[in-house]
Amino acid sequence: MSLHNRISVFRAERGISRRELAEAVGVNNQTIGYLERGDYKPSLELALKIARHFGVAVEMIFSLDRFEPIAMSLMRTGEDK
Amino acid sequence: MKPRRRSILAMLDDSVRWTGMPARIADQISGDPDRKHRPMRWLPIWPIAFSCALLMTSLAWPAALEGVSLAVVISVMVGFCGGVFAVIPGISMNGPLGKSSLQDDEREASLRKDSFLCCLGLLAALNCLGQPLIMILSHWQHWQVPQIVSVVTSAFMLNASLLGCLPTLYASWNLPQLPRE
Repeated sequence: MSLHNRISVFRAERGISRRELAEAVGVNNQTIGYLERGDYKPSLELALKIARHFGVAVEMIFSLDRFEPIAMSLMRTGEDK
Repeated sequence: MKPRRRSILAMLDDSVRWTGMPARIADQISGDPDRKHRPMRWLPIWPIAFSCALLMTSLAWPAALEGVSLAVVISVMVGFCGGVFAVIPGISMNGPLGKSSLQDDEREASLRKDSFLCCLGLLAALNCLGQPLIMILSHWQHWQVPQIVSVVTSAFMLNASLLGCLPTLYASWNLPQLPRE
């Protein structure tokens, strides 16, 4: 079963590099790259550390289902308003 | 437009760059441990292939050793062993598993575990099959001492090559290339 994540989205939004995130959660910066590409599934500890670093719930970053594209979310938010 | 002629020095620079050595030396002197321990997808195949070929030759071509003295066989085998054993540490230390396991994060530790598990499993299976096979062949074909020395030494070299290079090879092929940030 694949594990989807939005680490790159959060990272881009906060303007932090792979290296900075890696240092903050105590892993190699390549590990962040492999996580973003979906080539590596993190341990629960690492997933929680990443979520804590971004200050959000772990479900906001990791999901067993595909995340909705950002364009779709924005469109829906606009319609709601 | 006529292409500009390049000077000999520029062409020499290009030829040195083409070898890849300047980039490799720059990686070696950089402080970044990830750049020092790069995936090696092809180099570890050479010692394994060489040792395999040597063992196959020793097994399949015993006539080559007829009339050859034991001293010559031992000298040649020591030479081959020296060559292979000089290459193996370089491959291990510069490959993705080359850094100390104490510095591994969870992904690297998992990769190291998988690589050694695969390597040791394959080694165990090969030795379980190979040892009885060598004993049976030596009995049936009435091997003389030079052939026994040649087969045993090349089997030892194959074991050492697999132990030294297979984990690096496995880890290298399980590390997809990441685009630079």
